[in-house]
Amino acid sequence: MYRVHYLAVLLGVWTLGGCATYSSSFGVIEHDLSARQYDAALQGIEKQAGSKTDRVLYLLNKGMVLRMKGDFAGSNRVLEAAKAEMARLYAVSVRENTLSFIVNDATVSYVGDDYEQVLVHLYMALNYLELGQPDKARVEALQVDIKLRELGENISDSKFTEDAFSRYLTGMIYEERGEWSDALIAYRKAYDAYRKYQSNYGLAMPTLLKHDLLRLAKRQGLSDELAQYKKEFGIEPPREDSRAPEQEGELVFVLNNGLAPIKREKAAALIDPASGVLVRIALPYYESRSNNVVAARISVAGKQITTELMEDIDAIARQSLDTRMAAITARSLARAAVKVTTQKALSRGGGNNENDAMVGLLGSLAMQVAAVATERADTRSWLTLPANIQLARLPLPPGSYTIKVELLDAGEQIVATREYPGVVISKAHKTYLIEHWVPAQLFTSRRKK
Amino acid sequence: MNPFSPQKNIKAALMILVLALAAGGCSTSVKRMDAAEVKDLSGAWNDTDSQQVSAEMIQDVLNRAWLGEFSSTQKRQPAVIVGEVSNLSHEHINTNTFVSDMERELINSGKVQFVASSTERREIRGERKDQDIHASEATRKAMGQEKGADFMLKGTINTIIDASGKTQLRFYQIDLTLISLADNSKVWVGQKKIKKLVERSQLRF
Repeated sequence: MYRVHYLAVLLGVWTLGGCATYSSSFGVIEHDLSARQYDAALQGIEKQAGSKTDRVLYLLNKGMVLRMKGDFAGSNRVLEAAKAEMARLYAVSVRENTLSFIVNDATVSYVGDDYEQVLVHLYMALNYLELGQPDKARVEALQVDIKLRELGENISDSKFTEDAFSRYLTGMIYEERGEWSDALIAYRKAYDAYRKYQSNYGLAMPTLLKHDLLRLAKRQGLSDELAQYKKEFGIEPPREDSRAPEQEGELVFVLNNGLAPIKREKAAALIDPASGVLVRIALPYYESRSNNVVAARISVAGKQITTELMEDIDAIARQSLDTRMAAITARSLARAAVKVTTQKALSRGGGNNENDAMVGLLGSLAMQVAAVATERADTRSWLTLPANIQLARLPLPPGSYTIKVELLDAGEQIVATREYPGVVISKAHKTYLIEHWVPAQLFTSRRKK
Repeated sequence: MNPFSPQKNIKAALMILVLALAAGGCSTSVKRMDAAEVKDLSGAWNDTDSQQVSAEMIQDVLNRAWLGEFSSTQKRQPAVIVGEVSNLSHEHINTNTFVSDMERELINSGKVQFVASSTERREIRGERKDQDIHASEATRKAMGQEKGADFMLKGTINTIIDASGKTQLRFYQIDLTLISLADNSKVWVGQKKIKKLVERSQLRF
């Protein structure tokens, strides 16, 4: 009979080794991304394909790396699958939640944080725009609207109820299709969202949006609204140009800068004074990833323009975790209480003869090891998202251009240069060019051997 | 009585093992269905919607006054082409299957003549060019003999979504217009609406 319990102890110790948190296994993939070895990164991501609870993350990461590689159609297929999986996980699993009460939070299928669920649509829209399919990007724009309405309806502590950059991109999509009133409504919603961003994340209203609001308010003949924007922003609407703006095309450059923050685990082991049982509390926290690039400068046909910060994903992610922290801590404490109670019952359970007492002791020990080993923080998040998104728009006459992108650090020194030859700008059409900058991480010591 | 005796533990473990095996024993099952059978899974636009809408709308367009008027003045059947049906809905709808459903209904009605679409025409022109060089005199088809369409059928698919919690009301509106290529006049406007109430499940195993 002893053997069963020796086995349990062994099993407990073995689990301890196998219980690395989600984020700690990501170092190698990150290294491949910064070296622009996308196929190697995809192979690394493919190793996570088997996990049932992390399926959404596997699909999100795969979709993101595919688009970095330039396979936009493939990326959209994978991200569409991620959306379907998120929709399936809308239903709460009874089994997983029961298990999370005993083992840890990472046993629940990852459905994606609110902001992650919105950003899937954003990246699918960007994929369609880079493929030159604005009609399909419009479908994503409508889905973003439905998703944000759903988030706005939930009465929660979350400060993320509007996504400003998604709204802004939606406006650009409508504008390109000539749906002016829809575009203006989207820009107005972006305006409201950026006002919230200002107070929540300290992100200022982008100048690009101010000019778009003025231009469209003027175009739609809304003189009161136009006067209000003029007064608020202190800028004038563009004067009528002698060249018809319909004759020009536009370059839209999107910089996905850096990588989103990564969740790490902080843990404390303590002895329950009443029972003398060892308990462990493990909680997640966000760690920003190092990045030396603060902006990009685009040079084309003798013109230069610098990107503007549109979305601070780093700040959004941190705030999202902050609002969830109370609930996460409460669950961790509740789990500790369950584990203590079970262990007390086990150690009391020793029977009449010596053998049974021995068995009870071993069982209790095994339980204790397992309880401590399984208490791990849920460090899952969409790690291939950028830390922030920046944008530059430049009107250009139709033609083929070579576009030079210089990535700048805080002292405006050039960190890296990229060149895109043969970018075609066509009349009354927006050409999207998207760059994802993944810096080499300083914390390479975290790499799994 | 000791509730944590090893014997009981083993029994419990066996029990769990049996349950796990039972749950894992579900294999893939395939059931053949009739193509006309209605089966709604997610509530999204599906084959049934495409078939129903195209059949009903083409039925409507063929029973209107413009057809009789054209036939009596021109003494022939009108030639029709299906243009673009643009998707303005919130779903990635494959409008190609919808367009081909409509084409089939139109051709099979026998009341109108049908002209190949612009992409098809391009391919056929290439073939004709090839015939010009390689085919025998007797079988060669001359260029410039194409039949021009009299009307073009165009349309949009729109959706309105109203959602609250787990309930979602999806409203699809399909608008089709038949436009005369001679003078841009609209000879027919058709509309079909579909309403679906989708309840999302809140619990799973």
